[in-house]
Amino acid sequence: MSEHKLLQREVVKTLNPEGDRPDPSTIITRRTFLNRSLMGGAGLAAAGLFPTMSTIEMAFAQGGPSFKFAWVSDTHLYPKEVNTRFVDKTVRAFKEVQAMNPPADFMIFGGDLAQLGDPVEIRLGAELLKEVKIKKVFIPGEHDWYLDMGKTWNNTFGASPWFFDHKGVRFIGLDTVSRADDFWTSRKMSAVDRMGHMATLDGTLGGAWAGLGAEQLKWLSDTMASWGDKPTVIFSHNPLYEYYPNWNFWVRDWRAVHEILKPYSKVTNIHGHTHQVLYNEVGKMRSIGMLATSWPWPYAPEGVPILTKAMVRADPGDPFDGVGWATHSVSPTGRVENEYKMWRKDIFASAAVDDGTADNRNQILTPRIADRP
Amino acid sequence: MISKKYSFPLATLAVAVVAVAAVFVTDIQEASAHKEKHTADQMKAFDEVFMEEVRIGDLLFHGDGATEKKLKVKLSKTAMACAMCHPYASDTHPHEFPKFQEQMNEFVPLRDMINWCIEKPNEGEKIDPNGRAMKALEAYITWSNKNSKLDPGRH
Repeated sequence: MSEHKLLQREVVKTLNPEGDRPDPSTIITRRTFLNRSLMGGAGLAAAGLFPTMSTIEMAFAQGGPSFKFAWVSDTHLYPKEVNTRFVDKTVRAFKEVQAMNPPADFMIFGGDLAQLGDPVEIRLGAELLKEVKIKKVFIPGEHDWYLDMGKTWNNTFGASPWFFDHKGVRFIGLDTVSRADDFWTSRKMSAVDRMGHMATLDGTLGGAWAGLGAEQLKWLSDTMASWGDKPTVIFSHNPLYEYYPNWNFWVRDWRAVHEILKPYSKVTNIHGHTHQVLYNEVGKMRSIGMLATSWPWPYAPEGVPILTKAMVRADPGDPFDGVGWATHSVSPTGRVENEYKMWRKDIFASAAVDDGTADNRNQILTPRIADRP
Repeated sequence: MISKKYSFPLATLAVAVVAVAAVFVTDIQEASAHKEKHTADQMKAFDEVFMEEVRIGDLLFHGDGATEKKLKVKLSKTAMACAMCHPYASDTHPHEFPKFQEQMNEFVPLRDMINWCIEKPNEGEKIDPNGRAMKALEAYITWSNKNSKLDPGRH
């Protein structure tokens, strides 16, 4: 067993004492929202139906009111003249959010609105977002950040972290993307080149860029303490646990995050970045990975949480495949119900040959070389 | 005692065996005559040739415009690079080719699938199957999967 795997086992064992699970009083049902009425005529014939976002219903067994909110992320917009495919999907996602009936209480955009952080891309996203009239909140992705170090993003959508309380739930939005080590100054790198390296998932120079940093950790600790052990949803672009560091499918200070969250039993982390179906529990915290509107990433070569039921292999010839509806029941006691209902075909494979992780059991990968110092 | 009936074929066989053995030995000697022991410098040079192809393939795979221009190829018109769906060349499965490829409804080598991806999802221009760009892409993809289990034909 590799050193990395041994370390993962040790940390998981430490953070998951026997019997330590998320509190059962919060039930989460996850679906992908579809609205056929929005897709008529040629558009429907050409593109068919496709999943665009996840809606999350929250019901509190102890008598709190039920409500919905929507999540959209990872639209990865290029300028319109470069790639219309991603624009079309984003437009449709936002139309579907707006058409929800009853309407969602709010929409969270989970980062990576742009592909290369270009103000043109961010402005395009902001324009498309006007379709959504309900309350919107935002957290950044690395693709939104590293051209101008978040200037356009923060000016357009506001800075993170933030929190607000809504119907008995504290919602927290984190910035997990802005703290990359400076690899560009000493290399006299242009802003465009810096962004290019950061926009490459399997790039080398960006390193372990995902993290909260000491100041935000302190802020998170204080924000949790002031709310106590009540239902809390933490939005982050990256997952708050160690899945696959090489692709920043983690935050580098995740151990510190879990130390802060350890006393609290009603915490759910919802994250983007990984573009795939993911479910995990670390200590008392549950974590749910959201789909992208742009494209699905393959599962990483190692570190896929054992609680994740992998999604089906995507058809590379179908830009609307790899996302869709499904059902995922994590707890036999019914404490948590994660339900994906996605477009086109069942999201989960019934046979290993169709499974997004089992399919790769004979695959061992080597990191790239062309961008190494 | 060998009967007269079989003496001719046996004699012929013996002559044939000697003749074949002589040819074989001669061939080995000729082959050996051209095979010197490898020096460390030679091995380094062989490796450098290969790794340079891997490096070029890596750049192409990650959408490097300058390398595309140099090799006169257009791998994508959607701004999508191969690596955007295949980080570390994941899910390219070079160790499973040749195989029946469902999308193409055909038994194909890896290079045919590479061209399919260039033409379909990436909406780029098909490249010369025997050209430098294809060889470099194949070098990078197979190198990235060098520790994967050889499993030809697997879907």
